[in-house]
Amino acid sequence: MRTGPPGVPGAIPDADPRAGPATGVMPRKVARLLLLPALLVAAGILVKGYAESGDGFSAGVVAALGVLLQYLAFGREEAEKLPVVRHAVPLAFAGLLASIGVAAAPLLFGDAVLTHYPPPGSKVVYLGTLELITAVLFDVGVFLLVFGFAVGTVSLFARADESAGVGRADGRSGEEKTE
Amino acid sequence: MLLPLLAALLAAPASALAGRLRPSLAAPVGAVLAALAFGAALWGWGMGGGAIDAAWAPTWEIRFAVAFDGLAALYALLATGIGFAVLVYSSRYLPLHLEHEGRPESDATAFYFFMLLFMGSMVGLAMAQDLILLFIFWDLTAIASYYLIGFDRHDPDARSSALMALLVTGVTAVLLLIGAVMLRAAHGTFSLPELARVVEPGPLLTVSGFLIAVAGLAKSAQAPLHFWLPRAMAAPTPVSAYLHSAAMVAAGVLLIGRVYPLLHKSEVLLDCFLVFGAASVLVGSVLALTRDVLKQLLAYSTISQYGYVVYMFGLGGEYGVAGASFYVIAHALSKSALFLTAGAVTEATGEDRLSRLGGLRKRMPVLAAASGAAAAGLAAMPLTIGFFKDEILFGAALERGPAFAALAVLWAALTLAYIWRFWSGIFLGTPGEGTHGERELPAALVAPVAALGALVLVGGILVGPFETLAEAAGRVSLAVPTPVEPAYHLDFRPENLMALAAYALGAMIVLSRPAWSPAALGFCRLGEKAGPERIYDLTLRGLNRLSDRAHRAEVRDLRSRVAAILLPAGVLVGAGILVTPTAGAYRVGELRAGEAPLLLALAAAAVATLAATRTRRHVTLALVLSGAGFVLATVYAFYGAPDVALVAVLVETILTLLFVVTLKLIPYEVLHRQAELPLKRPRRKALISAVAAAFAFAVVWGALSQPAAEESVAQKLLRLTPEAHAKDAVTAILADFRGLDTLGEITVVALVLLGVATLLGRGGTR
Repeated sequence: MRTGPPGVPGAIPDADPRAGPATGVMPRKVARLLLLPALLVAAGILVKGYAESGDGFSAGVVAALGVLLQYLAFGREEAEKLPVVRHAVPLAFAGLLASIGVAAAPLLFGDAVLTHYPPPGSKVVYLGTLELITAVLFDVGVFLLVFGFAVGTVSLFARADESAGVGRADGRSGEEKTE
Repeated sequence: MLLPLLAALLAAPASALAGRLRPSLAAPVGAVLAALAFGAALWGWGMGGGAIDAAWAPTWEIRFAVAFDGLAALYALLATGIGFAVLVYSSRYLPLHLEHEGRPESDATAFYFFMLLFMGSMVGLAMAQDLILLFIFWDLTAIASYYLIGFDRHDPDARSSALMALLVTGVTAVLLLIGAVMLRAAHGTFSLPELARVVEPGPLLTVSGFLIAVAGLAKSAQAPLHFWLPRAMAAPTPVSAYLHSAAMVAAGVLLIGRVYPLLHKSEVLLDCFLVFGAASVLVGSVLALTRDVLKQLLAYSTISQYGYVVYMFGLGGEYGVAGASFYVIAHALSKSALFLTAGAVTEATGEDRLSRLGGLRKRMPVLAAASGAAAAGLAAMPLTIGFFKDEILFGAALERGPAFAALAVLWAALTLAYIWRFWSGIFLGTPGEGTHGERELPAALVAPVAALGALVLVGGILVGPFETLAEAAGRVSLAVPTPVEPAYHLDFRPENLMALAAYALGAMIVLSRPAWSPAALGFCRLGEKAGPERIYDLTLRGLNRLSDRAHRAEVRDLRSRVAAILLPAGVLVGAGILVTPTAGAYRVGELRAGEAPLLLALAAAAVATLAATRTRRHVTLALVLSGAGFVLATVYAFYGAPDVALVAVLVETILTLLFVVTLKLIPYEVLHRQAELPLKRPRRKALISAVAAAFAFAVVWGALSQPAAEESVAQKLLRLTPEAHAKDAVTAILADFRGLDTLGEITVVALVLLGVATLLGRGGTR
C-alpha cells in the first residue's frame, strides 16, 4: 500500500498529514459526496426495515461506512468535526439503553419481557412505510449501537495510534473491530 | 415474620453506607442492627413463629418459602446474638489489628459489611424452606467467608486459606444443588416440607441425601474435608470466633437438621453420619492435643465438637436429634468465648503459642474467670450448660448400646483434656517467655467474653429456655416431639457414672501426656504426609498445571489459536458423520436451467478461494478473500435472501477495509519479508484442509438432502410474521421473535466497546 500516490495539496485543507495516501482530490470529493447519501440510505433501510430488506444492523453499518470514508479521506480531526462522530460512544450506549428499555418496559404492565405493542391483530399507525410499533424502536436502538460501536472503535483506535506515534503497527485493531 | 430476616439482611448495606460516610460509624450501626435482628428473632420466637410462602420462579417451581420455626429460631438467635457480641468485640479489636498491619481505618468498612452479610445470609439460611433458596443463602455465606478469611489480603497465606475454604465449601455446595435437582426431578418440588411428606426410602433418597449431606459435612469441617478450618484461622480473630463457632460450621449441621426429615428415612445415611462424626471427633481431638498455636487448637477442637453433633444426628431418636441442637447452642457459647479469649490474649501479649504463654491469671483475672467458665462449659463440668450437652450425648449413646456409650465417654475425656490444655496453658503455671508485653486489655475485648461466660453459667442453672429452643429445633428435624429433660440428678444413674468416668479418664490423659504424645505427633505427621490436605494441594497444583499448559498451547501463535477452535469442532463433526446412518442421506438433485447464474457464481467463489491458496502478497490475499466473500453475497441474492445478501455485502466491505487498513499499519519491509518466507510443511497443510473440507462438504450435502417433513421453524416464523405487523421476516425475527437474543448480542457489542475504550485509556470520544 506504499505504492499509492502521495498526498496532493488541493483546495480541501489537509488536516492530518498522516492520514495516509488516500487523500487525493478524488477520494475527498467522493467521500464528501457520499456522506449524505450513505446516511440517507441508512435512514431508509432503518425506516423500511419492517417492510423490506434490511434492519437496524444493516442501517448502522451503512451509516458507519459513510462516516468511516470521511476518516480515510480527511483524517481524524476533520472527520470528528461531525457531531455524531464525536459522540459515537455515548450514542452506542444510548442505543443499548433504548433497546433494553423497550425490552423491559412490558414488565411494568405485567407482560413478558420483549412483548411488543400494539399486540398481534390490532391496528397499526403507518407514516408512509414506517410502522409505529415498539419493535421499530428496538431496531433503532440496535442501529444506534452498531453505528456508535463501529465509529467509536475506529476513532478510539485512530487516536491511540496517533498518540503511540506514527509507523508503530497496531495489529490488534483488526481483531477488535470484527466483533 | 420476615422481621428478623429483614433486619439481618439490611444490616450489611446499612453498615457499608454508614462506613462510607464515616468509617467509625460502620461498627456501631452494624452492632445496633445485629441487636435489632436478635431482638426481632426473640420476639418472633415468642410469638410462636410463622411462615411466608410466595411464588418466586413459578415455571421452575421455585418458591420464596421461609418459616420461623424452632430450627430457624435456634440458628437465627445464635447468628445474631453471637454476631452482636463479636461485633462489639471487633469494634475494639479491628482498629488495633489494622494498626498492626499498617492499613487505613477505612478498610474496616469492608470487614463489617462481610460480617453482616454473613449474618444476614445465615438468618436466611436458617429460615429457608426451599432447597434452591437454601442453596442461594448457602453460597452467600461461602462468598462472605471468602472475603473474611482473606481479609489480610497482603498475606499470601490468608489468600490461599480463603481460596481453600471457598473451594471446599463451594464445590460441595454444587453437590447440594445436584441433590436438590435430583429430588426435584423425582418428586416435582423443591419445597422441603412437601419433600418430607412424599420421599420414600430407596437408592434415589440415599444418593441425593448423601450429596446434600456431604455439603453439610464439608461446611461443618468434618473429616476428611476438615482441613480448611484450621487454615481458615488466618482470618482476624473475630472472624474465627464468629464463623468457626456460631456461623459457618454451624451452617453445616443446620443443613443436616433441616433436611433430616428426609435423611433419617435412610439407615445408610445415618450410619454415614456415625462414621464421619466419629472420625472427626478422633482426628480433631488428637490434633487439638498436639497443636501449639491457640487458634489452631481451638479449630481442631471445633472439628471434634461438630463431630459429636454429626454423630448424634447419626444416633438418631429423640435424644440424638434434640441433643444435637442443644449441643450446638452450648458449644457456640463456649467456643466463641474461647476464641475471643485467644484473640484478647494475643492482642495483649503479642504471642499466640501455648508454649510461650502461661501464668496470666494474675494479670487478667476477669478474662481468666470468664474463659474458665467457658472452658468448663466445653469440658461438661456441672453447673455449666455443657454438663447437659454431655448428659444428653450419653443418654443418646446408651440407647444405641454399650459400645457407643464407651466411645462417648472416651470423647468426653479427650475434650476435657484438650480444653484443660488450652486454659491452663494460658492462665496457670509460671509466666511464659512471651508474656512480658505490658499492653492493657481494653474493656470491649473482655466484656463479650464475660457475657458469653456468664451465659454458659446461667445455662448450667436455668437450662429451661435453652432446652425449649433445642427441643423445638429437634421437633422440626424429627417431626415428633423430642423431650430431653436435662436436669441434675443426685443419684447413680448411668449418665452420671459416665460423666464421672469421663472426668477421671480426662485427668488421666492430662497426666499421662509424656506417654502418648509421641504417638499423637506421629499421627499428625502422617496426616501432613498423606492427609486430605495434601491431596487437595496436589489436585489444585495439577489442575493449575493442566490449565497453564492448555493456555500456553492455545495462545502460542495464531495458528494454534485457530486450531484450538477448529480441531475440536472438526473432531466432533467427524464423529457425528461417522455415527450417522448414511443410507439415503446424500441425494443428487437435478439441475434446472434457471440455476445457471447461481452455479456460475459458486464457480467464481471457488476460483477465488483456490486463488487465495496460491497468493503470497498480503494485500492481494486480502482482496482475493473479500472477492470470494462478495461472490457469496451474490449467491445469497440469487437464492432469494436479500437480507442475508445485504448483511454479507456490508460485512465483507467492513472486513476488506479493516484488512487493508491493518496491513497499512504494518511497515512495508516487514510485510515484504514475510511474503518471501517459504511455506512450511505444505503437504500437511493441504492434507488437513482437504479433510476439513471433505467433512464440511459431507455435512452440508447431508443437511440439504433432507428437507424437513413437518412445518419447520422457518415456516412457522414466516407464518407468524404478518401477526407481528411485519412484511420482512428477517427483521421480525431479529426485533421480535428472537429479540432477546438480539438484546444479548448488542449487550456483548456494547461491552466490547466499553473494553476498547477502557483499554485505550480514555473513557469517551471527547
